[in-house]
Amino acid sequence: MSAMAEPSRSITPVGAVRGTSSRLPLPLRFALRELRGGLKGFYVFIACIALGVAAIAGVGSVSRALIDGINQEGQTILGGDAAFILIHRELDPDEYAFLDGHGEVVTTASLRAMATVGDQRTLSEVKAVEDGYPLFGAVEIAGGGDLYDLISERDGVYGLVAERTLFDRLGVEIGDSIRFGNHDFEVRGILDSEPDRLAGGMGFGPRAMVSREGLDATGLIQPGSLVRWRYGVAMDDPSDAALRDLIADAKDQFPDAGWEIRSRANAAPGLTSQIERFTQFLSLVGFTALVVGGIGVANAVRAHLDRRRGVIATLKAVGADGGTVFWTYFLQILILALIAIVIGLAIGAAVPFLTQSAIQAIFPIEAAAGTAYPRELILALVYGVLLAAVFALWPLGRARDVPVNALFRDHVSARAGRPRLVYLVALAGAALALAGVVIGLAYDPLVSAIFVASAIAVFIILRAVAWLIMVIARRVPRPRGAALRLAVGNIHRPGAITPTVVLSLGLGLTLFVTIGLLDGNLSRELQRNIPDQAPSFFFLDIPRERSGEFSDLMTEIAPDGQVEKVPMLRGRIVAVEGVRADQIEATPDAAWVLRGDRGVTYQDTPPEGSTLVTGEWWPADYAGPPLVSFDDELATGLGLEIGETLTVNVLGRNLEVTVANTRTVAWENLSINFVMIFSPNTFASAPHMMLATVSLPDDSDAVERGIMRAVSTDFPEVATVRVKEALDAVNGIISQLAMAIRAASSVTLIAGILVLAGALAASHRHRVYDAVILKTLGATRGRLLWSYTIEFGILGLATAAFALLAGSVAAYLVLTYAMAASFVFLPGIAVFAVVSALTLTLALGLAGTWRILGEKPARHLRDL
Amino acid sequence: MPDTGSDDAVRIENVHLSLGSGAARVHILRGLTASIRVGQTVGIVGPSGSGKSTLLTVMAGLERPDSGMVSVAETDLGTLDEDGLARFRGQHIGVVFQSFHLIPNMTALENVAVPLELTGRRDAFDRAAAELDAVGLGARGGHYPAELSGGEQQRVALARALVGQPAILFADEPTGNLDGDTGDAIIRLIFDLHDMRGTTLVLVTHDLGLAARCGRVISMRDGQIVSNGTGADIQAQVAAE
Repeated sequence: MSAMAEPSRSITPVGAVRGTSSRLPLPLRFALRELRGGLKGFYVFIACIALGVAAIAGVGSVSRALIDGINQEGQTILGGDAAFILIHRELDPDEYAFLDGHGEVVTTASLRAMATVGDQRTLSEVKAVEDGYPLFGAVEIAGGGDLYDLISERDGVYGLVAERTLFDRLGVEIGDSIRFGNHDFEVRGILDSEPDRLAGGMGFGPRAMVSREGLDATGLIQPGSLVRWRYGVAMDDPSDAALRDLIADAKDQFPDAGWEIRSRANAAPGLTSQIERFTQFLSLVGFTALVVGGIGVANAVRAHLDRRRGVIATLKAVGADGGTVFWTYFLQILILALIAIVIGLAIGAAVPFLTQSAIQAIFPIEAAAGTAYPRELILALVYGVLLAAVFALWPLGRARDVPVNALFRDHVSARAGRPRLVYLVALAGAALALAGVVIGLAYDPLVSAIFVASAIAVFIILRAVAWLIMVIARRVPRPRGAALRLAVGNIHRPGAITPTVVLSLGLGLTLFVTIGLLDGNLSRELQRNIPDQAPSFFFLDIPRERSGEFSDLMTEIAPDGQVEKVPMLRGRIVAVEGVRADQIEATPDAAWVLRGDRGVTYQDTPPEGSTLVTGEWWPADYAGPPLVSFDDELATGLGLEIGETLTVNVLGRNLEVTVANTRTVAWENLSINFVMIFSPNTFASAPHMMLATVSLPDDSDAVERGIMRAVSTDFPEVATVRVKEALDAVNGIISQLAMAIRAASSVTLIAGILVLAGALAASHRHRVYDAVILKTLGATRGRLLWSYTIEFGILGLATAAFALLAGSVAAYLVLTYAMAASFVFLPGIAVFAVVSALTLTLALGLAGTWRILGEKPARHLRDL
Repeated sequence: MPDTGSDDAVRIENVHLSLGSGAARVHILRGLTASIRVGQTVGIVGPSGSGKSTLLTVMAGLERPDSGMVSVAETDLGTLDEDGLARFRGQHIGVVFQSFHLIPNMTALENVAVPLELTGRRDAFDRAAAELDAVGLGARGGHYPAELSGGEQQRVALARALVGQPAILFADEPTGNLDGDTGDAIIRLIFDLHDMRGTTLVLVTHDLGLAARCGRVISMRDGQIVSNGTGADIQAQVAAE
């Protein structure tokens, strides 16, 4: 060989390598060079991943902000380092002295009572506090002022501060009077917030705050009254160890106290669990958005790799093996996915900051102020990476086997095929890992598993629906009109966007229809069905000795009304068969029975509408050891069987009772129902009040107002709950939840729109070709437009039809089996599904082609 | 160039290849047998559809025949799997295409370095720069293909094909996308490099004048070799026409 065979060494590499270091692994080097092509073709890819990651990171971060806030502000929310809660009775001197020996103790008493001003009356949540309240945090009163000073006695009249809602309902202003029980309070302030509101649970009326002495003046507190006594302790030694010792000593020294003990570490367990449950649901909706976006990811990767077939074949022609090709493009996609994930994480991390004021309006937690939550962000990152892997591995695996003769043979570019086994295994592994993360980290794995399985099933069915539409379009007799023929041809031709349209919009619409039907049916249930079956009123705290007088009053005012009365006490399950309640492994559906106190009663006959499932009811004159009848489903959830013993604390005494039978309970009709009904001899001599319901045959507002007026006049100590108002309150909460869920679901729909827009953009070239050729042959713009309208209309309608069917089935199953509610198809939802599917497909489909239709064919013919 | 212990750089025996399927299936190569000696320059000529480009892709290991044997540098290509074939091409074969097939997101230098990078050569960029210099593009290595003229792109493709010092250079209509002067310059470069390095050269072309510059010329028609003569024979034929 000549000297020229060995290239000269004197030449300096020109332009170096423009940034791709030769020390990097080869596929990474090639991937970085490929990225020089920019983000063109990847905008939908990035948007889809970023949107899903942002949804998951945002939901997770807000949830963590709330839960951390509750934990960090445990003292404030709880109203102490520890709180001891009793129903019916106050602490006895020994118990009080025990708590007082550990720090400062502040007592509050809460009860429901009727607030009356002239003829106006409304139910209010009354809280009586003593000087020193609150131990932590501050009560905020509009215009300022010291709480205890405002509610103290002045000239024989106690003061009151209340939420603005109470003022509005009763039409009072500061300086006016509101009567509770036997005392007229002077309204002295508007309550803006109280620090321990979250720990109190849901209320049925606006808050009114009075002094302990003021409450005594009302005469509302009688033996057996439903009063919640709460003793907050600010410990002298606030260490965790001292707190644990306090709780352990309290249990040891006062085993029969029957108090519920909460520590600052567990200030609002019910709320925390509700937040976690709701977070799980929103995360699953976010997961659906991610899956819908996955279609966009797959489309973008496939389109990109199709565009790079020439480059892949060239690399192979000069010596690259399949592995190098795979890793080159895998790394390129991974880098792009990471860019998208970072964008998504940035948005997700910003959500707690952006929603801070809205959240604090609902949950007054200072710590909910925004901060980044690394664990939630890492989890969202894992979701994003796994999603990219699941949806990119198939086209990437196929890219590995792009034949080198793709360089000179166009026909091979259309060849489909399955990737090699190793990539299918990797894909399955990534999919399992994704499902594992979704299910494994869920608050309720079973619910998550059902949701994931349902999403996969809908996904598969939607793919089958798309296939069916294409088969039908292929086999349908050739239409006469050219426009229709073109439309039908576009639906089934190779590379048609039919599967993408059906999949991307179908999943989101199905979710929307399901949620719409669930929300609509639940509202219907609350506004129409339940009011038809439920009583009109609940009356709490009717003195036992005046029970007959109460019945007489009802007969006089509402002779057609049906009055039902039962004894009412509150009790807590302390142990089952000697095992402490906090150590019992109950199913999630039954665990609530063991938390806090429950209403209990006694009866000598089984309640109407209940059916005994196991065991027998006690005889009318039963005088043996105390027996209890238990809700059958809950007994199963607790693993409770006939003959086993329960320890129930009622009125500060631990009672050992034997389970005599289990029975069905129809909770949904809102009549008087109890988990536990005791044999009458159990509480024969115990002080207690009565609970009554009144069912009115007709929806008579005048009679209802008459009843409220009469009861508040003759029975000032009785709290009246108007079911209609309570249902409205519950319905309001459900509507708010549904709004939040709809907002989250709209993310899924947005993902679907992005995917659809991406797919339409990808099919743009094909449509330009069709349009230009047809225009050259004489087709008018109107005819082409009509053809596309038919095509997108058919796809939109088919997608809407499936979403309606699948969404209805899902809503039916959830309502019938999970909520025991009735299902009614709501036409409004159907109209919504059809209109939105048609609007989206037509608007997105026609938007891309409209510009082309207006242009001269010659310009495009040169490019074809 | 490997020590083959044989004078044949390429040997094909009874090679058949059909493309397409069903009614559209076309029998392109019909039982071809030929051999090319080490260091030879061979022109393959024939009308469109005669199978000359397909024969080149089969010999270059870019396409597998339906039947028959293809041996390059004493290696039976039928014994290699796809990845093995790719690595073999990287080490022993250089290919220049009519459409250049440069990688658009890589600079000229990077395009040339790719075959060496794939074999793990640490001096890939030094050698690539030298090869670019050899084809007269030493100052253009930092440019992307889109920033180069057609002739420059084909020079880059030629540098890429030769940078690994392959045993054989296959060129498929290397001037087909170039104007006359540029095409002539590329051809001069190819033959100069062949003269200097002794690389076996197989050239597919429509241009009988160009084919006549080769030491040997294979004429094809309907997937068969119809003549197998010398460049001088073709020169005489061209002169007669």
